Amino acid sequence: MDIEDEIFSDGLPKAYYKHDDKGRYVLETDAPWAEKVSCALIIAGNRANLEEIRKAVLAGQKSPLCYYMELRQMDPGMLAKAAGIATFRVKRHLRPEIFAKLKPSVLDRYSKALRIPLEELKTVPNI
Amino acid sequence: MTTELAANGKPFVHNHGAHCETAVTSALFRYQGVDISEPMIFGIGSGIFFGYLPSVKLVHLQVTAFRNRPGSVFRKAAQRLGANLVIKTYRDPQKGMNELRQVLKAGHIVGLATNLYWLPYVSERHRHNFGGHNIIALRETEGGFRISDPTFGDPVDCSSEGLEQARFVPGPNNPRGFMYYTKSINPHPDLRQACIKGMKNSCGLMLRIPLPIFGVRGMRFLAKKIIKSEDKLGFEGACRNLAGTVRWVEETGTGGAGFRYMYAAFMQEASELFGSEDLARLSRDMTTIGDTWREFSVMSARIIKQRNKTEATFANAGGLILKCADLEEAFFKNLQKAVKKLKA
Repeated sequence: MDIEDEIFSDGLPKAYYKHDDKGRYVLETDAPWAEKVSCALIIAGNRANLEEIRKAVLAGQKSPLCYYMELRQMDPGMLAKAAGIATFRVKRHLRPEIFAKLKPSVLDRYSKALRIPLEELKTVPNI
Repeated sequence: MTTELAANGKPFVHNHGAHCETAVTSALFRYQGVDISEPMIFGIGSGIFFGYLPSVKLVHLQVTAFRNRPGSVFRKAAQRLGANLVIKTYRDPQKGMNELRQVLKAGHIVGLATNLYWLPYVSERHRHNFGGHNIIALRETEGGFRISDPTFGDPVDCSSEGLEQARFVPGPNNPRGFMYYTKSINPHPDLRQACIKGMKNSCGLMLRIPLPIFGVRGMRFLAKKIIKSEDKLGFEGACRNLAGTVRWVEETGTGGAGFRYMYAAFMQEASELFGSEDLARLSRDMTTIGDTWREFSVMSARIIKQRNKTEATFANAGGLILKCADLEEAFFKNLQKAVKKLKA
């Protein structure tokens, strides 16, 4: 199945204003073609990006924190504000060797900010 | 359109709307017996806008806003229509949820701001980390709430934990439990005065902000960026950026063409209200602008799909935005003149 059809067959159509034959505006639920194309491109890109990061974590190049940050659609600045940890520290914690040495109190803050249980935060799903 | 019962047994009509905030505000007014449509709220609250924010990024893509900042449409519309609202935010999630339950029991329907990423019933394509999605809580059910989300066709059930997670999110996109309900509403609002105020405000926002990223200046800035983007980012990067822009034009609850069709619908209603031929003509102009934005998104989709390579280029896509900027500048200048002739 095409990714465009896959993401748009979720049963939650949005409404769009369109002209009817009398020149009045009415609501319809057909998504424009351009929207389907660009949405599919972005979502496919996001999925590929996440998958790439997951592989990098398994290969030991990035820390699991990086994966979960991407999963929650955050960047280091946002995660820093959510967890109450300075941005430069968050950026350091994206490196696996530094992440491995973190104290439980710091991990706890990340787990609350990302809403990921503490045990899961240390690994990524290995499919 | 479906009818649901609110907490006190009063029927609530769920209308499918294009945009969350305007549709929620219109539903709150309709529930109190003031029949006012979604485009009307959008126009009165001065929703139409343009802003290109290159420094704000969501999932690595820049934000291009086609409407005023979240919350302002609702506040302005309520003020101009003479509605008395209770607006609250909370630090403590438990307190926020308890007060929501109390207000629902007292028989109100409550507008809530939530984070779209955490709402349990949305699907993958609607999931943005965006903390300003508005929904209406109708009544408490067993283990959850009955929710009317006007951007979707039917009312939905939402678990209590899910709603709490969506209302209180750690980080900068936290809605902080923002909730609002009507204390009293003027049953016969002065629509003409409100429309005039809304239109004047919109003209100022589009033409007078002296910064290069807002209003028609912002459009020209974005156009220049798009024309240069292929050289700067390479084809794939530029396509991704362009798709991001198209998503802001069409997808994020705009009702098509970056709210331009919705504003044309407002102008249509206003022209009937005032009986003014000027406004009817301006409504047709706005439709032309909307069509040009739609043309831009179709052209962008062709670039992404690599169809018709001689016509569909980044330079042409940017050119269409420049055309939109010229058309909108003329439109709002004409609107300024037309508003002066209207009598409240």
